[in-house]
Amino acid sequence: MKAGRKWVILVVAVLGFGAVRLPFEKSLHRELLDVGLLTEPLDIGTRDRIGQTSSAVALGGLRTLVATFLNLRAFGYFTVQKWMDLEETFEMIVDLAPRTRYYWETGSWHLAYNAASYYINDSELPALRRREEWRRSILKGRAFLERGVKNNPDDWSIAANLGFLLSDTYKFQAFRDPDESFAAAAEAYQRAWNTGNALGYVERSAFYALSRVRGREAEALEMGRQLYAAREKNRTPTLLSMIFVLESHVDPPKDPVARAVELFGSEEKAYQVLSGHWFRTRERFPVYGVAGVVKSLESKLGIAEKDSVLNRPLPTPRSLDEMFRDD
Amino acid sequence: MMDHSDTMSVKDSHVRRVLVIATHAFTQLVRMKVFYFLAIFAVIAIGSNFFNLPQHEGPESAGTEVLRSIKSWSLGAMTLFSVVISIVATALLLPKDVEDRTLYTILAKPVPRIDYLAGKLLGVMMLVFVSLLLMDVLMTAVLHIRTSMVLDQRVAYATELGWPQEAIDSMAAEVNAMGSTWSLQGAVLAVFLRASIMASLALLVSTFSTSTLFTATVSFLIYFIGHFQADARDAYLHVGEVGQGLVAKLVTLLVTLVLPDFQLFNVIDAVIEGQVIPLVTMGKLVLVALYYALFFTIASWFVFSDKEF
Repeated sequence: MKAGRKWVILVVAVLGFGAVRLPFEKSLHRELLDVGLLTEPLDIGTRDRIGQTSSAVALGGLRTLVATFLNLRAFGYFTVQKWMDLEETFEMIVDLAPRTRYYWETGSWHLAYNAASYYINDSELPALRRREEWRRSILKGRAFLERGVKNNPDDWSIAANLGFLLSDTYKFQAFRDPDESFAAAAEAYQRAWNTGNALGYVERSAFYALSRVRGREAEALEMGRQLYAAREKNRTPTLLSMIFVLESHVDPPKDPVARAVELFGSEEKAYQVLSGHWFRTRERFPVYGVAGVVKSLESKLGIAEKDSVLNRPLPTPRSLDEMFRDD
Repeated sequence: MMDHSDTMSVKDSHVRRVLVIATHAFTQLVRMKVFYFLAIFAVIAIGSNFFNLPQHEGPESAGTEVLRSIKSWSLGAMTLFSVVISIVATALLLPKDVEDRTLYTILAKPVPRIDYLAGKLLGVMMLVFVSLLLMDVLMTAVLHIRTSMVLDQRVAYATELGWPQEAIDSMAAEVNAMGSTWSLQGAVLAVFLRASIMASLALLVSTFSTSTLFTATVSFLIYFIGHFQADARDAYLHVGEVGQGLVAKLVTLLVTLVLPDFQLFNVIDAVIEGQVIPLVTMGKLVLVALYYALFFTIASWFVFSDKEF
């Protein structure tokens, strides 16, 4: 056969073969994308940022390996506290391996906890700048986790981590509106619980967060009662205290002391737990009805007024001005 | 006219010839000491155990990152080794047979050229298969040991905290999913399938190439561009929407029709991240790989059938 003719036949065969497989490959590719076995192609920004070599390796089917290398690089940035570089590296890492829980959680941990703590103590910046950098780092950590949740709707741990960050005693002030952040925390915990894989504390945490949202006390009380009824293990001191507090706000009992004894089992136990709860103002837990019942219990238990817990100073919520001072 | 037994015996003789050539090619490649790379792989598989960076998790979830790291490093090394071996070994075989004059001896006998090519390709695939099998055994062993260690540690912690049995079971299932699973074996099979396609493609290139270097270079280029094929296909199918011209349409069409879609085999990444590959999906990938391997082998024979030496 003449060489030219042979080449023509070969080219036609290659094209014909390609045309035959095209619909099958296209539908298989779509199917794999839909079930999450393939990820969307890297965008040009990520390809540029990871560099030509890594980009070639990643495109050669080794995305997770490049992500592993970048994770080592990110750790290097963490040790020398180069937060901008660390953030950029984690952006690349999660583009390469969006289904790996560890990267979403570690990236947000570095931003919302490590970088934020660094700025609290950074002596080279004035107080106002430190405060803003602290707030910005926490917001970045939140945004990072929210993207993680969006990319991994079935992962309980990322959602639970988001709930934890949003209701963290030392972080919620960064979100400006605590009601919004506690409501978002409750939603995140609930989402984690709904996956069916989370531990029991996650559902209770959703309740603890919701009970701190002003205006949603009735909803929180309903949830607390359901948790109480569902399992013995749910009846933690915090849950019992919150049921008492929320009832005192939504539907105050006629005899608060009797209700406290009913919930906690004895006057001593009720006094011990509720007087402890009285001091949780920094965590922004409401304390409706607590002072009254503690006072009544103190008189019943023969505790002198000078020894009353109500006379001890309450830990005031730590203000941002207190945290960020120029001295 | 041939009766049924004659047809069977012709088929048998084809199979025997292909197997003899394959075994010879395999032995020839083994003598090139390719298995030395296994020592490097062992270092990688064991070394990946020690990338234990300080982490944010508490003891209740510690350790799974190391399991992911072992899988990531090991499957990455497997991909790299298998692709390099399949391309370089295939690129070497024909020129080496010409140089040693073995090819003349074989073709002087009544050996159909398709048998010769299929035998050579099978030899390379055997080499890739055995290499991957050895690496897989090593990876699975390391992963199994490490998974047991992580599991013991976490179960002990959970028991100490008084977790209910259902919570411990759920945690154990999560840890085991990050260990050695059937999906992980599926990922190793996907590595083998991709390497097999590359070997058959390199065989096609080597039938008209003039040097080993040319075959290897072109094959590696095709390997990398093959990972863009799906992007080119999308661009071609949506070409009108983004207002590209005729040239762009033609280029994307050519890339789509000529090159294999290697992105399909990137399911490996999902397995490293702990996902499960359904058996049906695995079957579809095998079909795709078979389709490519058969087509490229037949095309190689078509080019090679009346080549003068």
